[in-house]
Amino acid sequence: MRKRKYTIPTYFAFGWLGLAVFLAIFGSFLPVDGYQVIHGDFIDSPPFTAGHWFGVDSNGYDIFSGIINGARLSIFIAVVTVGLGGAIGSLLGITAAYYRGKYDSVVNMSFNVVLSVPNLVLALALVAVLATNVDINEAVPTWRRLVTLIISLTVVIIPILGRIARAATLAWSGREFVVAARSMGMRDRDIIKRHIVPNVLPALIAVGFLAVGVVIIAEASLSLLGVGIPDGASWGGMLARGRNDLEYNPHALYIPIIALAFTVISTNHVGDVLRGRLDRREGRL
Amino acid sequence: MAGSGTAHLRNNDEVVLDVRDLVVEFRVGGGRVVNAVSKISFDVCRGETLAVVGESGCGKTTLGKAVLQLPPPNSGDVIFEGTNLSKLPKEQLRSARTAMQMVFQDPISSLDPRMTVRNLVEEPLWIWGRGNDEERAAKVRELLNNVGLDPELVLDRRSYEFSGGQCQRISIARSLALEPRMLICDEPVSALDVSIQAQILNLLQDMKDRYGLTMIFISHDLAVVKAVSNRIMVMYLGKICEVGEPDKIYTKPAHHYTSALINSVPIPDPTRKRTTVPLQGEPPSPVAPPSGCRFRTRCPAASEKCAAEEPQLREVAPGQFVACHHPRT
Amino acid sequence: MTAMMSITDLYVKFGTPFGSLEAVRGVSLDIPAGSSVGVVGESGSGKTVMCRAAMGLLSGSNVERSGTVTFDGKALTSMSREQVRDEFGTGMAMIFQDPMTALNPVRRIGTQISESLRVRLGMDKKAATARSVELLSFVRIPDPAAMLKKFPYQLSGGMRQRVMIAIAISCNPKLLFADEPTTALDVTVQAQILQLLSDLRRDLKMSMVLITHDLGVVANHTDYVAVMYAGEVVEQAPTSELFANMKMPYTQALLDSIPNIEMKSGARLKVIEGRLPNPVDRPKGCGFVTRCTYAQQKCHDDHPPLVDAGNGHLYRCWYPLGHTIARKQ
Repeated sequence: MRKRKYTIPTYFAFGWLGLAVFLAIFGSFLPVDGYQVIHGDFIDSPPFTAGHWFGVDSNGYDIFSGIINGARLSIFIAVVTVGLGGAIGSLLGITAAYYRGKYDSVVNMSFNVVLSVPNLVLALALVAVLATNVDINEAVPTWRRLVTLIISLTVVIIPILGRIARAATLAWSGREFVVAARSMGMRDRDIIKRHIVPNVLPALIAVGFLAVGVVIIAEASLSLLGVGIPDGASWGGMLARGRNDLEYNPHALYIPIIALAFTVISTNHVGDVLRGRLDRREGRL
Repeated sequence: MAGSGTAHLRNNDEVVLDVRDLVVEFRVGGGRVVNAVSKISFDVCRGETLAVVGESGCGKTTLGKAVLQLPPPNSGDVIFEGTNLSKLPKEQLRSARTAMQMVFQDPISSLDPRMTVRNLVEEPLWIWGRGNDEERAAKVRELLNNVGLDPELVLDRRSYEFSGGQCQRISIARSLALEPRMLICDEPVSALDVSIQAQILNLLQDMKDRYGLTMIFISHDLAVVKAVSNRIMVMYLGKICEVGEPDKIYTKPAHHYTSALINSVPIPDPTRKRTTVPLQGEPPSPVAPPSGCRFRTRCPAASEKCAAEEPQLREVAPGQFVACHHPRT
Repeated sequence: MTAMMSITDLYVKFGTPFGSLEAVRGVSLDIPAGSSVGVVGESGSGKTVMCRAAMGLLSGSNVERSGTVTFDGKALTSMSREQVRDEFGTGMAMIFQDPMTALNPVRRIGTQISESLRVRLGMDKKAATARSVELLSFVRIPDPAAMLKKFPYQLSGGMRQRVMIAIAISCNPKLLFADEPTTALDVTVQAQILQLLSDLRRDLKMSMVLITHDLGVVANHTDYVAVMYAGEVVEQAPTSELFANMKMPYTQALLDSIPNIEMKSGARLKVIEGRLPNPVDRPKGCGFVTRCTYAQQKCHDDHPPLVDAGNGHLYRCWYPLGHTIARKQ
């Protein structure tokens, strides 16, 4: 059955994500001014003004460049976080489910404990702990805030993907081809590498996309609260910057919100589609 | 029923596999233990096909896996060609296993759905570094031809593209890659259609002749087992009931359970109506098996002795051993 | 003798991306009142689809059904879905192969049985409970009152099947469809369940359609047999007549390929070579032509019709067994 019907939402989702990734990689080469540049003459301009496609907010920042920069940051943070968290989580989850025993109980319980704390609360707590400076008068440098943010979100993602990896490994380890591999004399670590991981990977990829959505929202929320990336560098930061604009300059808020929404919806949808495609291949008898 | 009966062991030079006092127990929730295999001893001679027969829950599959030490039994010795597998360290056990391979019940689940047939059949050779790429490819082709599959048509496809019978052929090809000396078949045809069963059974027979294999054939289907085996071992709830040659056991079963099993098999001949009443009741739970003879709760000939004392295997006819206080005559 | 159910010229087609799949092609079958009819075939023969279609259980936008099915004088095929549903339970009932998936795992047995009593027969809670206990004892479950409170996972396969039978007969149906009811069960339990079904049929004066792939089951528990292959009935006859006088080579080949408990041990099984034809692209002659040992040119070119051999025996073959060509083989 090779018929693949891609619906319009799917094309849109792939298209949007493609655009976001493009902006993330090539955004700095585009002929627009940086997001920090203040355009005093254009304050409060609405969208579709010449030279400022998305308008300018009440502080003078160009929203279009803000969106581009936000794309860079959000994608970067999401990819690093999910990649790192996914790698660590799967390592723990797969080995726990394959070897079982006390190790498995410890890992499983740790996952459940961390998962029981709401994502945002956990991230906030971690940022608060990791980002404090010894000298409280000095502002925390941006790179440090970025690293802190990534570490906190990674911790949030580890049990999410780890649990998926563990559940999938439990299911696959019970299949007879694993017993067959052992009976052939295959070493456990080879079995995990050649048999378990390729079969667990589809589920991880699908949930990985969902996790990207989670991270983007979390990062945006933290930035909105002021503990993420400062100065409007990300979409959440733009929301923080434009907080006062709701009454007279709402596009300064709506546009980053739309960008956020489209991105998360797209990643969710792509994850869903991938999961559907990968599931179908295996289930046929 | 026998636990530790040894009367049926042959103890001669032809014995290839010697299993003594095998015990396999599983822990289930609540501190309870499932006695899957309770102190069984048996042996297999060179070139023989031993059939292990019983219904679900009797422990036959567990027995097969325990012989391969997958997982290792709780206690007991498995001596294969003179080497005690139960006492081998991990690395040596890994290489010892190459002489014993297993064919599984579910043909689809025993093949990794992400691998091509080429990789699947080649894998055992790859693990042990046998030959270079060309030699391995040639061996794979030879194996596929032996099991009746056209290599050109199957090499690059995946398991989900094939039927149950074809998957089982691939599985058999794979198990023969390392040229084992013993093959343990765990219900290899139970999941297959009736007319395909015959093909696979004949194939197993052919492979046995071609490679000079010794086989253990585990099944619940008495008719299938009769076609392929030289010796039959009937199990019930973790213990052996009866051991002997198929023709003898089927015409004159000495154990009441064996007799009930044989009478339950429907004969495709409407002129032969069965007059015996089917065996009543259900098998007791393996968590708390009955004392003494485990079959006594459903046996028409049970007596007090059966509850008090566990019967041991003894010879009631030449080559026929039964574990029963009151065997059928 | 009036037929309880009459299937005439039933066609079932599924629309698939590969083309139109004809699962059932022109099947006509009568089920007389009070009798047991066996439908035999392997997987892919269309037997399950045929029965589901006859009962009106097939749904889906890609399903096309034509032909007439009358039940107890009423034309099922021209009734609406609601009307057909009303026939369920009181007129027709069905039991399935896998009782675990047919029973709701999160509801107690008692609730599941009494539900159909209360919905269909309008009984109140007390009466339904009493009747449930009665039904469970009909199906020979020990301690029926305690069984009411149990969940399906606590029961063995045989017990669950009995519960399913109890639910099926709870509203005194006139016709029971049994779709491979014992395939998943052990052989001793199978014998018990088949015996139970025969006794129930006699006591409740029910007709039964027994779908199976096992000719042994059919030989002992049916009055009339229809053999299906590739979506058509290729032979049908009263059971004793069929076994005494097989005409269609497929039926004979099927019988020969099944390991028989009476055969000598170590005998080689006769195999039906080849595989079922592709259901989307069937050959235009006889469906069995690629696998028949003495197929002639006519078999390739012309599709054989059903021929009446007298005695209620119909078969679909140009050169049936007993014909000179067949005798030459």
